[in-house]
Order: sequence, then C-alpha cells, then structure tokens
Amino acid sequence: MKRQIVLGMLILVLTVNAGCWNRRELNEIAIGVAMGFDKSGDKYRITSQVVDPGEVAAKEGGTGHTPVITYHATADTLFEALRKMTTMSPRKIYSSHVRMVVIGEELARDGIERFLDFLTRDHELRADYFFVVAKGTTAENVLKTFTSLDKIPANELFDSLKTSEKAWAPTSSVTLHDLISDLVSKGKHPVLTGLKVKGSQKTGESKENVERIDTPTRLQYSGLGVFKKDKLIGWLNEEESKGYNYVMGNVRSTVGDVRCPQGGKVVMEIIRSKVDRKGKVTNGKPEVDVDIRLEANVGEVECRNLDLTQTSTINELEEKSEQIIKEFIEKTIKKAQKKYKADIFGFGEAIRRADPHFWRTVEKTWDQEFVELPVNIKIDHKIRRTGTVGQSFLKALEE
Amino acid sequence: MAPLKTSLEENIRQVKAALGNSGDIIIREIPIGTDDEMKAGIFYAKGLAKTDSVHHFIIESLMLDTRGTELKHKLSSGQNALQLIKDYALTAGEIKDVTDFETLFSALLSGKTIFLLDGYPQGFAIGLVGWEHRGVTEPTSQTVIRGPKEGFSEVLITNIALIRRKIKDPNLWLESRKIGRVTQTDVAMMFIKGFVHDQVIEEVRSRLDRIDIDGILESAYIEELIQEKTYSPFPTVFNTERPDVVAAALLEGRVAIVIDGTPFVLLVPALFGQFNQAAEDYYQRADIATLLRLLRYLCFIIALLGPSLYIAITTFHQEMIPTPLLISLAAQREGVPFPAFIEALVMEVTFEILREAGVRLPRAVGQAVSIVGALVIGQAAVEAGIISAAMVIVVSITAISSFVFPSYNMAISVRILRFGLMGLAASFGLFGITLGLIALVLHLSSLRSFGIPYMSPFAPFNLADQKDMLFRFPLRGMFSRPRLISQRQNQNRKKR
Repeated sequence: MKRQIVLGMLILVLTVNAGCWNRRELNEIAIGVAMGFDKSGDKYRITSQVVDPGEVAAKEGGTGHTPVITYHATADTLFEALRKMTTMSPRKIYSSHVRMVVIGEELARDGIERFLDFLTRDHELRADYFFVVAKGTTAENVLKTFTSLDKIPANELFDSLKTSEKAWAPTSSVTLHDLISDLVSKGKHPVLTGLKVKGSQKTGESKENVERIDTPTRLQYSGLGVFKKDKLIGWLNEEESKGYNYVMGNVRSTVGDVRCPQGGKVVMEIIRSKVDRKGKVTNGKPEVDVDIRLEANVGEVECRNLDLTQTSTINELEEKSEQIIKEFIEKTIKKAQKKYKADIFGFGEAIRRADPHFWRTVEKTWDQEFVELPVNIKIDHKIRRTGTVGQSFLKALEE
Repeated sequence: MAPLKTSLEENIRQVKAALGNSGDIIIREIPIGTDDEMKAGIFYAKGLAKTDSVHHFIIESLMLDTRGTELKHKLSSGQNALQLIKDYALTAGEIKDVTDFETLFSALLSGKTIFLLDGYPQGFAIGLVGWEHRGVTEPTSQTVIRGPKEGFSEVLITNIALIRRKIKDPNLWLESRKIGRVTQTDVAMMFIKGFVHDQVIEEVRSRLDRIDIDGILESAYIEELIQEKTYSPFPTVFNTERPDVVAAALLEGRVAIVIDGTPFVLLVPALFGQFNQAAEDYYQRADIATLLRLLRYLCFIIALLGPSLYIAITTFHQEMIPTPLLISLAAQREGVPFPAFIEALVMEVTFEILREAGVRLPRAVGQAVSIVGALVIGQAAVEAGIISAAMVIVVSITAISSFVFPSYNMAISVRILRFGLMGLAASFGLFGITLGLIALVLHLSSLRSFGIPYMSPFAPFNLADQKDMLFRFPLRGMFSRPRLISQRQNQNRKKR
C-alpha cells in the first residue's frame, strides 16, 4: 500500500515537472504559409509570409489589417536567417504549414542546392509544399503582392498551381522530394514553374490592388524554368511547357485546337493521357520512344462545313490533332536539346532502365549525348465524345 | 436465543420492555374458548400488518369460531389447544411456529402478526402483511421507446414476482437471506440452475455471507461490499431497474441479487461490453441495433478523449491540423488568456457543477440552471474572450457523448478518467494520451468480475461471443450463451 502511494506520487511529480515541454499555444505561434529565398550579395535574404489569423477568419470585416505579414532577414545561412526573424516577429514562425517556396530568379540562376538541405533536415517542415521560381523578379516581391479571391496569397498560389496543372497543363507542381530526386539523378534535370508579377509592383503591394474588380496586379504562372543541375538556365514558353507535360505524362486535362479544311477551328478537350517512355540502344546508339495515348472530347466547333456524325471526319480530326501535338512536342524537345542542352525529360533515366551497362558508359557525358538523341514520337489520339450536340447549328446556317 | 415463557403475561411484559413500549406495536389480549377458559395474545405492528385482515381472519375467528360446537368439543376433550386453534380457527395461509424471542421480534417487525396462547411456550407468526408502497411504474433511469414499461419497485416480493412472471421455469431458483445486523434487510439471490457456473454461485454466496454491516439501505451497499477491487473506476457489478434486463441476464447465466427497499437489482458477473448494451438493442432490428452499438462505442471514445485530444493537438501537434482549420482555430484563440488545458479544465468543471446542480435542484428551479448554463457559460464566456468557441464545442460534444451510455455507472468512470487524460495530454501531448490509454487497457485487462475476465470476450478473445458485443447479430445467428459466463447446456436453441 505504502509503495503504491509513493509510486502514485512519483508519477504525479514527474508529470507536473515535465513542465509541458515544447508546448506552444495556438496564439503563441506565427503560422508561416510561404517562404521566399533571394540573393543579397553573397548572403541569403529570406522572406516569410505569416498569417494574421484574426484577420483571415474574421466574420465581420476584421480590423482592416492585412491578412498576411512578411518578415525579412538576411544572413549567411537559411537557418540563421529564419531565427533572426524573431527580432522582428513577436512569435516564433511555425513552418509546418508552408504551402509555397518561392525562389528569386537571381538566386535560381546562381544555384539552389545549398539551401535545400535545411528544408529536408528541419523536423518542422513538411515536404508537401510546391517550389516555384519568381520570373524576372525577386521572391520578396512576389510574396508582398495582394491577392483577392483567397486572402492568403500562399494559398492562392498553391491552389492556382494545382488547378492550372489539372486543367491547362502548362505548369508543373514540384515538391521537395521531386526536386531533390531530379537533382541527384544523372539522367534528368529539374524544371520549376515560373511565377511572375503581372502589372505594377507598386500597386500590387498596396491594399488598393484588391479593392478593384479588375485587379491591376496579379501573380501569374508563366512557363517552366529549365535547370541544368541546380542552376536555372532558361525558360520554356507556354506551348513548350505543355509539350513538356505531354512527354512527362503530366497532362490530366487540357485544350488544343485543330484547323478545319474550310477555315475555322475545332477545339479538343484532352480528358486522359498515358505515356510510355522507353529507351533502347541499337548499335551502340541510344534512342528513345515516346508513346503517347490521348483521349479527347470535341469541345467547340467553329467551322460550318464539318459533319461530326461521320466517322471519317472524326478520323480526320484525330489525325490532325496527332500532327499538331507531335509538332509542338518535337519543338519542345528540340529546344531542350539545341538551346539548353539539358535533359529535362528524364530520357537518360529511360536509357538507364533499358540498358544499365550502356548507361554506365555515357553517364558522365549524357548531356552531350542528349543533344543528338533521336526521339521517336508516336501519338495515338482518340476522340470519345462530341459534347451534348452532334451536328453544330452552324451547319444549318449554311443552307 | 431466549425461549418464550409459558405465561402470556410474562411474554407480553418482555416484548413491551424490549420494544420500549413503542406506540406502533399493538398488543391485544383476548379471552377465547366457550367459557373464556384460555387467554390469547395478538401482537402486530400498525402500518406493517394488513389491519383489516388481522381483524377479520385472526381476531374474529378466535373470538367467534372457538365458541362453535365442534371446536368446543375438541378443546374440552383435552387435546393440544395450540394445534387445534391452528388447524381450525386461524384462517390464514402463511403460519409459522415461534418458540423464541428473536424469531418473534423479527417476524413482528417485518409486519407479521404474532399469536401466543397462555400456558404454552410457543406461538405462531401469521403472515398477513401489507404496508403502503410505491406500485410498479415505468423505470426512470433506463427508458426505452419500445419494450416493457414496467420497472422494479421497492418491495422485494413484488420485484421477485416481476422476474418470475418472465421466466416460468422450475430451474429459476431463489435463495434468501437477511443482511445487515440492525436493518435485517431481505436479500434474494436468483439464478437459473444449470445455466450458472457453480463456482460463480459459490463465490456470490460466500461474498454475501461475508458482509458484516449495520445497515443495507440500497443495493449500492451490497455492490460496494462484494465487488472485486475497490480501487478501480470501472464498475464490476451491473445494476438495473428493468425486469426484462434481469431476465435476459439470468438466461445468459448470470446471478441476480434482489434487495428489499430498492428498485435497483444487481447482476453479476458484469463485463465491460455489457455496459454498452441497452435493452432496446434486442427490441429493434439487428442492423440498427448494431449501428447504434457502434455509435455508443464511438461516444465512449469521444467522452473519454474529446478534450484531451483537442488539448494535445492544438498545443503540441499543430502540424496535424489542416491549414484552413488551424487558421480558424488560431483566430478563435487570439486574445484568450489561458492555455488550452486551463481553458478545458474551466469548462469541464463548470459543466460538472451544472450537472451536479441539475441533479440536486428541485424540479421547479431546474430551468433557471439551464438558462444560466447555456447563456453564461456558453455564450458570454466566448464573447468575453475567456474561452474559445472551439473549446465550447469540444466540451459540449463530450458532455453529450457521456449521456449516451445505457448504464450510468460506466459514464461516471469515463467522467473521472477524462480529467486524468486531460492532464497527461497537457503535459506530454499525444504521447501522454497514448501512455494513459496503455495504462487503461492494462488495468481493464487485469480486472475480473466474479472470476470472469472483465474484458472478455475481447480479451481473452472468444470468436463465438463476438456476436453480441460490438455487433448485435440477428437472433437467428445467436446460438449459444456467453461461453465464459454460463456453463453446460451451451446451446440456447437448435441450429437449423
């Protein structure tokens, strides 16, 4: 009995003396939603976007403060800079809920590998945020811009990247793990989506920006940035970015048009895509087959003289689409081969999987090999449905 | 054991002295026989004995019938007068011999009428008992929508009759005893011979016999004195005021302990799962009964862990909350001066106060409490920024969940444990909760109720008994009685 009492008291004392170690109340943390990395001389300049919860969740307009606040700090390393922010922020910045990491273009061109280690090592950070590159501007500028539909800019960027990737396909959502596996792989170079500030930076930073129906300054995704190792070397335009995503099998849904024989256009909505990238080595020469299977619906018809009820028309449309898509995929691959000399498609990986022995011989010089690599593109485009109407009323107009 | 005296006068004197001349004890001396050759004494307690019947069947018979020719003739022929009166004059059913004062007092004070005859050191206790009592009414603590609406009352014999009415089997046995040195409370043990493990009966018997206490005023006294472990928040004895629940338990092979003076009947052995079974589970379709039972287990978890999970996650594991929810919670907490643990503690204690007040308050004032409770605690505390709105929601759902249990004593144990887990959550987060739960499971698994493992049939696992624990199988799927509880004759109906 006595022993039990002593034991009970010991447990009680131990519980109380633990002192709620590592306890943080919700109103003692600053919820960081985005981080921006820029170069400042040979130091890092870090911007952290922090939510003011009272303002975001306010039911009746709030106090008129901004929904988010940014803190900046400049230091030799990332961790130091983050901690340095406490000299300005009353609360420690809690980074588990970071949605976006924005890298300034200047820093991206300089190389990004140095700071990635912190992002993987720190226990507070999760790996489910997206990386983007601030195109032609600094990360700081991007994170200072007001957005309207979602009060928290980081959330807006996160959702907008996901939506555009799903419905239009010129962007690519890259998480930390994707980025690192691309970096360490010898047969693939990473890409990151570019993000630019459209409109005047000055208006974007003031609240006035969200008080207008036609928001003067917006954040817009624009093409993919091509990296060679960890350095940004150039950009793909929108069409090339789509071409890149076709090859990578990232296209979930997008829209593309085909010209009719008598003028006007037919617009296709891609609803499904599947890609096989197979490497092979013939006579000591590497070669890659890209086999793309697409399914599409007819989404819009502009031309009068088109009988969609005929199989021959459908076949014709399918063929034309195949050609058009093939063309711009080829253009994209050419650009990567000739202009950037960077294998962003992971063809090297395909070769390695197909013939590991051969891969070992070209591993070191793959970038040169890639420039001359023949890529055979085969597209199988199927039209499944023609929408809620068969014949367009335009056809009736003709008669 | 002081024997009765031969002289009636002496006996009357002694009874009067022993009872301190209490005014509710009626003592009547009447002369009987043709020529008043004998003197008889009638003793009864006013209010306990059925006065009308005493007048009619005892006093009237004695005074008139003994003058009848037949009896007169026999009496005069010198036969045993006492025996003759018993045989020819007393027109009552239950008559027992009384030869000593102990029996006399015990019979007299339980409402029986005592008949003594001058010149004989013995008499009779005549069972014409009838006192004022509450009738059979609907049970208040365990209500059903569909099912029998009768509940036990305070009278032992009525309660036993209610059970007998449901099980008309000669194997339904009853063992009576009196417990309580002073109160001499009647306690009856009921079981179905052949269904119950003999060891369990033996165990119940020995534990009942071991009780040595002045008074038993409610079944809780017996419950506390016969339960396995004193230091456990969990009840190991089941109680109910529904005869159908008792009948069902008897059919499963449990022992019922019926105690005079309370409508609550005890059932042993009681297992953890039993406290989550409601009588209505069996009066509804099996599908809805199963879903409701799963809902009850969910409520058990909410009632036990609700506030502690909230504390742990919002103060230690913010990364687990989806971002929009985190922002909304953080916004509610802006300006709240207390840590989440204190906040939760304040709300929980407030709720306990309200609940306790609600139980004790006279019914007329009850509404005032709910108004104060809802307005002051609910709304004003949030508006004043002392408590966050999310905490009010958590505490409310926890409170409501704790009312879901069919048995009140399980709700009480959950109520106590909740506070312990809140403390653990506040000091160690989810790690603390996990530790607490491990300790809880260890404790539960080590508990036994009258030799039967408390967590059975979960631990030790018994596949056949799962049919009526988490789930309620259709009746056509229930072939056997609970394995660990009942013995032999395990099949309760034929498999088809």
